[in-house]
Amino acid sequence: MHTLSAIEIRDRFLRGEVSAVAIVRHFLDRIEKYDEEVGAFLSVYADSSLQHAAQLDAKRKAGMPLGKLAGIPIALKDNIHLKGQISTCGSKFLTNYVAPFNSTVTDLILKEDGIIIGKTNMDEFAMGSSTENSALKKTCNPWNLKCSPGGSSGGSASAVAARMVPLALGSDTGGSIRQPASFCGITGFKPTYGRVSRYGLVAFGSSLDQIGPFAANVSDAALLMEVIGNHCDKDSTSLNMPAEDYLKGFDGSIKGMKIGVPWQFLEELEAEQRTLFETALGHFKELGAEIVSVDLSILKSSIAVYYILATAEASTNLARFDGVRYGVRSAKAQTLNEVYDMSREDGFGKEVKRRILLGTFVLSSGYQDAYYRKAQKVRSLIIQRYKEVFSQCDLIVMPVTPTAAFERGAIKDPVQMYFADIYTIGVNLAGLPAVSIPSGLTGDGKPFGLQIIGGQKSDVAVLHAANAFEKITQYHLAMPDLIQ
Amino acid sequence: MSATNLWETVIGLEIHVELNTKSKLFSSAPNRFGDEPNTNITAVCTGQPGALPVLNREAVRKAVQFGCAVNAHIAPFSKFDRKSYFYPDSPRNFQITQFEEPIVIGGQVIAEVDGKEHTFAINRVHLEDDSGMLKHFSTFAGVDYNRAGVPLIEIVSEPCIHSPKEAVAYCMAVKAILQYIDASDCNMEEGSLRVDANVSVRLKGEQGLRNKIEIKNMNSFSNMEMALLAEIKRQISEYTHKPHLAHHEVIQQATFRWDPEKKMTVLMRSKEDAEDYRYFPEPDLLPIVLAESYIEAIRNSLPELPLQRERRYVHELGLSQHASFVITSDKRLADYFEEVLKECPNARMVCNWIIIEFAGRLKEFGKNVAEYGISAKHLGQLVSMIDKGVITGRIAKDVADQMVLHPDKEPSKIVAENPDFNPLHDTAEIEILVDKVIAEHPQSISDFLQGKEKAFAFLVGQVMKLSRGAAAPAVVNELLRKKISNLQKDDS
Repeated sequence: MHTLSAIEIRDRFLRGEVSAVAIVRHFLDRIEKYDEEVGAFLSVYADSSLQHAAQLDAKRKAGMPLGKLAGIPIALKDNIHLKGQISTCGSKFLTNYVAPFNSTVTDLILKEDGIIIGKTNMDEFAMGSSTENSALKKTCNPWNLKCSPGGSSGGSASAVAARMVPLALGSDTGGSIRQPASFCGITGFKPTYGRVSRYGLVAFGSSLDQIGPFAANVSDAALLMEVIGNHCDKDSTSLNMPAEDYLKGFDGSIKGMKIGVPWQFLEELEAEQRTLFETALGHFKELGAEIVSVDLSILKSSIAVYYILATAEASTNLARFDGVRYGVRSAKAQTLNEVYDMSREDGFGKEVKRRILLGTFVLSSGYQDAYYRKAQKVRSLIIQRYKEVFSQCDLIVMPVTPTAAFERGAIKDPVQMYFADIYTIGVNLAGLPAVSIPSGLTGDGKPFGLQIIGGQKSDVAVLHAANAFEKITQYHLAMPDLIQ
Repeated sequence: MSATNLWETVIGLEIHVELNTKSKLFSSAPNRFGDEPNTNITAVCTGQPGALPVLNREAVRKAVQFGCAVNAHIAPFSKFDRKSYFYPDSPRNFQITQFEEPIVIGGQVIAEVDGKEHTFAINRVHLEDDSGMLKHFSTFAGVDYNRAGVPLIEIVSEPCIHSPKEAVAYCMAVKAILQYIDASDCNMEEGSLRVDANVSVRLKGEQGLRNKIEIKNMNSFSNMEMALLAEIKRQISEYTHKPHLAHHEVIQQATFRWDPEKKMTVLMRSKEDAEDYRYFPEPDLLPIVLAESYIEAIRNSLPELPLQRERRYVHELGLSQHASFVITSDKRLADYFEEVLKECPNARMVCNWIIIEFAGRLKEFGKNVAEYGISAKHLGQLVSMIDKGVITGRIAKDVADQMVLHPDKEPSKIVAENPDFNPLHDTAEIEILVDKVIAEHPQSISDFLQGKEKAFAFLVGQVMKLSRGAAAPAVVNELLRKKISNLQKDDS
């Protein structure tokens, strides 16, 4: 069953060929079997998901209408709230934090009869590119257990890659959906900023964060987008536009489409990766698309801009974790200042502290003009540049990452780790939709992803092109040896 | 004190006003004072991770209303910023405020100071959310987040205020405007109106401003006046005693608080301890973009404002400017005044009884006559009795004393029940007095006959004096006129 798509699983359930309970059991068994090695899940809701499945079976038997996600098990990254369950955000600080409300995406999934089966591991507060910054668990790449699944949504990506769940949600602030999707050989989509509500997502960089789906194929990701991509009154930055149909228009045709490639920006791409990328471009040509060269060399500044703006926002977003109202308060603390200092000292990991310090610094009086404000200006230039480029082409393609998955522990220098996101960050700065889809394997058998980027609100077009690519390449069918 | 006259005071005020919206600035939690702690809260009010702010349109409308009421520029584009500081009453450890681009810019407030109209300039008005409240118990402290997220406007004046008296007049005028447009309860005791002052002094004629001191914790206008007086005196004394030091060394920028027990300003923190708030644009909220038509609609639907009412009372009711300022500076009092007028149309006399007679009697209660609970109908009845000559002014004062003791009792009943309050209506008895006065003041009578009305009032006064204030003025009037006209007939 796990080799079926989410859509096929749902359709079999709707036709009565398989019960929701059997579906959930099957995936719970797979979690049981593989997650000890992979380490994707922080919590698995075996009882409640089976209960929910039984309700759906009863609903189906009673002939009641069922939703778009009926019977599909779905995992949430552990920074997305499910009411009554703990949201750790991969942090020691929140190991006791029970979410007091559902995130909007959780509500939308439940409304369409999706089954929340568990929550997945992540870099602490989504800060990282390898999931190694999780304070709670080690997550491995199902393709090569020595390797990182990428991050920060490494748990969700590896869970889908190991087919422990057909669909999962992640969050993407600088590449945290697309990079792990690339490392794990699956589809990961980062929607236009504001397309998916952030209500109930624990914020990292509020102007950059966006929730999006992981799936084993583009259509499944599109299905989940049809459900979660909707206007939400509780998020002021939510786009005021209704949900869109994605699947209806998936006819595999992108003939005559202009696809931009920012060659100058990709100068440093190594030979093997370059070959994989050029092969992918060949497939687009086969599909009748025209490849044009575009200039996005301004993106060379994107890492610097991102690590100023994201950390500035994060330093204030994470200020609330002070041990006063919730979270783990240091037992040693005697005074108010000790509650603050010790709870944050004990509760936060090294990378989180580094980013809070950096963000606090770039906002400080005397330094704000040189860092925060200058970064804002460059961000505006990047947005402007993308706009110009999208007047020359319909979509942009480039690799998701400079390399395939690296070994856990291999990258010790934080700045080197930041450069893992060089191709993904620009998209967040400009609020664009972008998808990561498999585009073949490297010589040592690791997946390498292709990124398709669209202009703002062109989410449907991006997934449409990805679906066309997937149809003629079938790269998405490759599965890690671990589960074969 | 002559040295004091060499100095000039410069004060700028920051007035924080809680808007009386139904819900909070960024959440649907009720905006209500006095409930059980932590009952009026949502995930937003306690800064839960994952919660997001959503702007309350009613708060925006009230801020714009105030801006229009003070003739300010309403910014078509304004936005919110995060102001970072750690304190348990701040649920996110940052406040959402408008630092760079406030919603209201400029504006003027006209107030009366020492019988003269004075125009004060506003610098800006911005929207922000209130903090929670810390409560200290014997062994621990707790936080009540009911107030967290209540919408505030901060009204920042220019440093255009030059005395504590002016500061009070300005605050009262601002408060009146807020009450007239129904933007706030302005209850200083409950904290819905709070004032911080920035104070400095300089020698008269000196250019530029010296270092300022910020004073907090002045929870009434009288406290504010005392605090300002004390702080001005302290600064002048510092400069006077350290004439050889540079000004910035004598007074260093700092925050003081008013200690109402010690009656002095006390240092809270010096500038070195001042926090870096690291303001930057709030990414969770969109800018506030206001259409010209929206602003115009608010401008055109403003209710009558205190100053307009003040002008109307002067022009239509003949009140003095001072009386008119006093009575219109409190909306409820002015409304009460108009209620009384329905009972007794003598506006000047009614106004006098409200702002002088009853104000004096009720000073010890800290209330005006409307707040004290004497009905407009009863006050109207009292003034009417004087106006119609049923009782004398002297008796009315005694009746007023009784009304303070028995606020529910009708004044006519008070008069009826007490024989001392019954004016002399016995014509025969009064006639004797009238005859006596006529006999003793022939000059006044001839003055009156030559058209001097004042002479008649004098004669009435003489009769009243003889009756020890007990004669019914109406009867005295009638008798005097009759007798004098009889005298005329006799002559001819």
